[in-house]
Amino acid sequence: MQLLAQILANGVLLGGLYALMALGLALIWGVLNIVNLAHGAFIMLGAYVGYYLFSLFHIDPFVALPVSMGALFCLGYLIQRHLLNLIARAPMFNTLLITFGLDVVLTYLAQMFFSADFRTINPGYAGANFTLFGITLPLVRVLAFLVAIVLTVALWLFLSRFRVGRAIRATAQNLGAARLYGVEPRRLYALTFGLGAALAGGAGDLYGVVSQINPYIGAALTAKSFAIAIIGGLENPLGVVVGGIFLGIVESLTALYVGPTYVDVASFGILVLVLILRPNGLLGAAA
Amino acid sequence: MSESLLSVQGLSAGYGEMSVLREVTIDVSRGEIVALVGSNGAGKTTLLRALSRMIASTGRIEFDGHDLHDLSPDQAFGLGLVQVPEGRQLFDKMTVLENLMMGAYRRRGKTDIRATLEYVYELFPRLHERRAQRAGSMSGGEQQMCAMGRALMAKPKLLMVDEMSLGLAPVIVDQLLDVLSAIRKQGMTVLLIEQDVFAALQVADRGYVMETGAVTRAGTAQALIEDPEVKRAYLGL
Repeated sequence: MQLLAQILANGVLLGGLYALMALGLALIWGVLNIVNLAHGAFIMLGAYVGYYLFSLFHIDPFVALPVSMGALFCLGYLIQRHLLNLIARAPMFNTLLITFGLDVVLTYLAQMFFSADFRTINPGYAGANFTLFGITLPLVRVLAFLVAIVLTVALWLFLSRFRVGRAIRATAQNLGAARLYGVEPRRLYALTFGLGAALAGGAGDLYGVVSQINPYIGAALTAKSFAIAIIGGLENPLGVVVGGIFLGIVESLTALYVGPTYVDVASFGILVLVLILRPNGLLGAAA
Repeated sequence: MSESLLSVQGLSAGYGEMSVLREVTIDVSRGEIVALVGSNGAGKTTLLRALSRMIASTGRIEFDGHDLHDLSPDQAFGLGLVQVPEGRQLFDKMTVLENLMMGAYRRRGKTDIRATLEYVYELFPRLHERRAQRAGSMSGGEQQMCAMGRALMAKPKLLMVDEMSLGLAPVIVDQLLDVLSAIRKQGMTVLLIEQDVFAALQVADRGYVMETGAVTRAGTAQALIEDPEVKRAYLGL
């Protein structure tokens, strides 16, 4: 029982970070209809921003979080404005190709500049734990989880309460009508893509604290984010949280009871099941 | 007759090689309801799209003292040329209130927007009741109210209503026409684009009949209703 509780706690903590990773992908997918295959590369870049700020300037990774997010926001905004807007609303195959190319370019640029070595952001408190009801909780994972949840709720509030956030949702639902009432899609798309990239950057910074990074972590993280976005659905950021935590728990349970090598089998197996049984996501309308 | 708000002269437009509108000339004065009627395919919606600058056209369009010819849809909207699109085009998954607020997307000033919202709720009390409901889950008539309310939230100078009556029960159409009459009394100018010729001419001051891309008849609504040709072709009398 104690063991199960510990595994569940690990899963939930992991899942919060997963949710943050997937959030940007789901946002960009839902609004722009682009499955951004470079999303994992954005996460990787965000992690390196955090890593270099820490190793060169001794800036705490949680303090560096806004910097990671800001840098990736600018990168995402520029990429959308000058590259992806050229193919806005193009068939999905085109956008898959171009973001795949982007992923390859970013990955190999990272390899050139950062080397292929594994890195880790290792603040003094990295090994700290505390115990709650007999469950051991690593401090950095708890912090990363809390930040992930705060950012998710912030995004949800932005989309539902703010004028520009509402326009982003309106554009996702009915582009033609949004234009009728003065929404300028190009700027809004760039802003949305920038936001999605910023969330990836934030996730990357946190990922660098709880795990090792190198230039090649992106592809697997894109795949995982994709699975979570599908499981959680694209309509509601809170769905992504449910999807992320669900996947985190499944992976933790699988690692313990089946074996660590089967983790990806479990998560992508669930993806297939969700696609068959609830194609709109766990919280979405039933099929 | 009072001052002209919209003046269209010799407007021609089409899609690619295909020309749809031929030398259309219409005029809308401030504070009147003008009906633009005609059957399916007469070019009414194409004219609307040319007016809102979504398609290119030749000829002259003057709106509120501005030449619209070189303006983008965005700029035309900014001048107060606002449409209620055919098929309503609501943001289905957003609430009624959110839909209404999207109409005010380009406006600044919270109290001002709030006042317009109160005004829209006064015109359509049903929208106030349903403000937290998803727009897509309402009945057709309520959705049309929401679409009209959304357009009013933009504070239009000219409200262009495209096929308002389509698919709605006559009793609902009458209610909506009453609202149009009411906002006209408060000074709004309305261009009503309708297949339902009789409904449109009921509330309009003047009307234009379009056939195959050209205006074939024009006059006061009363004169058009009594016109034997119009009666025969559109009213089934």
